[in-house]
Amino acid sequence: MTDLANAGPGDALAPVLFGPITRTTLALYAGASGDHNPAHIDIDFARKAGLEDVFAHGMLSMAELARVVTRWAGLGRVESLSTRFLAITPVGATVTCRGEVVERFERNGEPRLRVALTAEIDGGVRTLAGEAVLRVA
Amino acid sequence: MVPDATVQGNPRGIFDRSTRGARTEAVDFEVEAGRVIFFAETVGETDPIHLDREAARAAGYPDVVAPATFAIVIDLEAGRLIEKRGGMGGLTLINSDFRRLLHGEERYDYGGLVFAGDVLTVQTDVVGFEDKKGGALEFAHLRTLISHPVRGPLVTITRSVLHRLG
Repeated sequence: MTDLANAGPGDALAPVLFGPITRTTLALYAGASGDHNPAHIDIDFARKAGLEDVFAHGMLSMAELARVVTRWAGLGRVESLSTRFLAITPVGATVTCRGEVVERFERNGEPRLRVALTAEIDGGVRTLAGEAVLRVA
Repeated sequence: MVPDATVQGNPRGIFDRSTRGARTEAVDFEVEAGRVIFFAETVGETDPIHLDREAARAAGYPDVVAPATFAIVIDLEAGRLIEKRGGMGGLTLINSDFRRLLHGEERYDYGGLVFAGDVLTVQTDVVGFEDKKGGALEFAHLRTLISHPVRGPLVTITRSVLHRLG
């Protein structure tokens, strides 16, 4: 775990690369997560719904964004984690997840770090944007 | 949080807006070590506290530690438990149509770590509904509390899901 005593705005966290996302990945994530939405695993369902193909669970990318933070700070320091899902992640994509400290502030007299998070797929399309708030101690 | 105007409805809307303010049945969900490890492996976790009981115990934890987004597992499996008993989980309650459903936002506020062996109480509130892009999108806002009988609230999930109505 990183010593966060002197961490502050501008600090970049080590990125996490995940993928290429295969249909096997999606089948396993569906089973592991309990998200059985057929739009992620059943191409027949996807086509009937007017989609070209199945697409990755947004929550799979959120899991990777979380790893950017927990590898750096440790899970026990994470006070909150949030993401907005901006674009669909297609099968075959490699997701690059990045984090950067954007603010050091105090809550209840204790220091906190705000980390901005983004997930991007090939071609630079941003698929998720979010943030984490971390305890420093 | 959601202005009253947004509950007036959308002629193309699919969500059942009469469920605003409704609450699912509270259910207990037992966190199993095998499920934590399967989830951690699937998302590519490498920290052994999520993957190996002995490593977790050596690090001072009672059992394997659930990764940050394992809250989704607890939430979805709690919904499935309710439905096995003939009730409705959050997504069913609001009348989600999986052919059109997308995830808008997901937020976790943590009160403590989740360990294998925990039996957690899970309950979801339907916070409200909202229309965007001239009614082409309709959003549902849900909040789920995951709590431990002794350690208290461990995760609060704030979620929005949406239907594409085009």
